[in-house]
Amino acid sequence: MRSGHAVEDYRQLVALSDNPITWFWVGLLILLLLALPGLVPTYTLVMASAVGIAAIGAIGLNLLTGTTGLISLGQAGFLAVGAYTCALLMADYGWPAEAAMPAAAIFTGLLSLVIGVPSLRLKGLYLAITTLAFSLIVTHFILYSENLTHGPFGVRIANPTMLGMDIASDVGFYYFVGILLLLVSLFALNVMRTRIGRAWIAIRDHDIAAQVMGINLVHYKLLAFFVSSSIVGLAGALTTLRLRFINVEVFDLLISIEALAMIIVGGLGSVAGSILGAAFIVLLPEGVRILLDFLTPEMKTAYSNYVYEVRGLLIGAIVIIILRVESGGLVGIWMKTKRYWINWPLPI
Amino acid sequence: MSALLQVRNVSKRFGGLVAVNDVSFDIQRGNIHALIGPNGAGKTTMFNMISALVQPSEGELLFEEHPLHKTRPDRLAGLGIGRTFQNLAVFGHATVVQNLLVGMHHRTRTGLLEAGIFFGRARQEEIRAREKVEEIIEFLEIEDLRDTPVGALSYGLQKRVELGRALAVGPKLMLLDEMVSGMNGEETEDIGRFILDINETLDITILMIEHDMHFVMDISDRVTVLNYGQLIADGTPAEVSASDAVIKAYLGRA
Ligand SMILES: Nc1ncnc2c1ncn2[C@@H]1O[C@H](COP(=O)(O)OP(=O)(O)OP(=O)(O)O)[C@@H](O)[C@H]1O
Ligand SMILES: [Mg+2]
Repeated sequence: MRSGHAVEDYRQLVALSDNPITWFWVGLLILLLLALPGLVPTYTLVMASAVGIAAIGAIGLNLLTGTTGLISLGQAGFLAVGAYTCALLMADYGWPAEAAMPAAAIFTGLLSLVIGVPSLRLKGLYLAITTLAFSLIVTHFILYSENLTHGPFGVRIANPTMLGMDIASDVGFYYFVGILLLLVSLFALNVMRTRIGRAWIAIRDHDIAAQVMGINLVHYKLLAFFVSSSIVGLAGALTTLRLRFINVEVFDLLISIEALAMIIVGGLGSVAGSILGAAFIVLLPEGVRILLDFLTPEMKTAYSNYVYEVRGLLIGAIVIIILRVESGGLVGIWMKTKRYWINWPLPI
Repeated sequence: MSALLQVRNVSKRFGGLVAVNDVSFDIQRGNIHALIGPNGAGKTTMFNMISALVQPSEGELLFEEHPLHKTRPDRLAGLGIGRTFQNLAVFGHATVVQNLLVGMHHRTRTGLLEAGIFFGRARQEEIRAREKVEEIIEFLEIEDLRDTPVGALSYGLQKRVELGRALAVGPKLMLLDEMVSGMNGEETEDIGRFILDINETLDITILMIEHDMHFVMDISDRVTVLNYGQLIADGTPAEVSASDAVIKAYLGRA
């Protein structure tokens, strides 16, 4: 049993984690991820990059929906805005990736204010529907503004580089996504442990009390939209850099549902939960395939024929189970387990 | 010096219902002032007007000469008014420390970029705010609960956190809406002790709504009584409990 330690120094109290064991494990994980390209086949790296991009998108969505309590069904729309901004700036206007990517993030953030403003008075379902409508409008706009967006033909970009790094190769792109995921995670964790993150939490839990504590609801809701959507826009830009060819079909509305599933399964309001949830949802079909390898060949063919249906069913079932059994998601389960072992043999 | 809060001919109508009817009274600096009256008398409505959550239909509310009826609710903390709510209004999924830190929101300035890198002012402010929060935690004797989500605490302890959050605002005036209803005898005594301490040692003026008459008469310096939106008495506890109008209002409903 590890005893709760008394902390005297306030610098320690405001640290991300004052527990050296946590830092040890985080360090080990980062070392493992650094060494990964030497250890696994390319296909695994490509999957890891996909998880990384989904995780960045999930962190963004979680700030808005998990932390601030503003439910968004607009993830696909924001991803598309980021992806198309990046792609068009590079393909049609000759911008380098170094400039197109941040521009895409910030543009997505600013555009989100356009739906943020009318949504200020909306809550719950009404806000969700507004964001869904936004998503539909984005798709429509892309399809029918052919002069600007290439309409149904999609956009192709040349092999990109980033600050001299070759990010067109699978290994290069893997490291690039890894670095960005690390930076975005640190940014989100930091914001959440300051007055801004606490203002968002306060608005989610009790907006009137938040207001009486001096929090300007308009300001902080719009800030949540901006920060969240900028990060989602960044994930969109990364999608462009990864695929090098995008069209509207990449940003199907189902993506918005999957993104919500990621943060619910991983843990609402948690950065670690966003990453875990993204990994879980993205790797789910692979996981099932590996499991089925131990079963009969007939089931395997059946599965590969219906992989999307099976995936949808599984995601739905898991979300329902999580909501009923452990609303803290994977992170909540992890915390409970940890607390159990720290206190062992005493009951929790 | 003029009164800390002046309520001048304030009325509030909700459609046809007159919730507060031409009420005037003062709150003097340093007092523990009780606002009492039967259910539906308009007490919470009065609090909501003082907190700028509800606009009066007529009249003025002046806090240190500052017109509260022309203020936005999120300016209140900055003016020096903290409050608790009749129904629990804690941030249930946040920890005790986080709840208290929210009370200090208006005293900090960190912007988005500083917050994102957690450097310089962001860090300094966090450290300073955390120091103040530790003082409040000690004062309210909730040292063991720092990192507990407030929603997991008992009703009495949640109320105590709400009191702490109002204290974290650093207020000159604290509005407490029915702190002790629903609490047992021991919890009520604790809260009474905290209120007296807040008033005496921290020099914070208190305006509280309470139904528990013993509690009110015990600790208040002054009592204002509302009945059906009308002010029917305003004076010391002794004066008010001797008032015919007050006796009739309470007996009439009993
Ligand atoms: N927002 C509102 N809209 C309409 N009517 C309201 C509103 N707020 C309060 N009222 C009405 O105004 C009257 C006074 O309510 P208020 O909550 O101020 O009473 P109170 O003195 O706090 O009572 P209690 O002791 O039950 O808390 C009640 O009749 C109530 O129904
Ligand atoms: Mg009331």
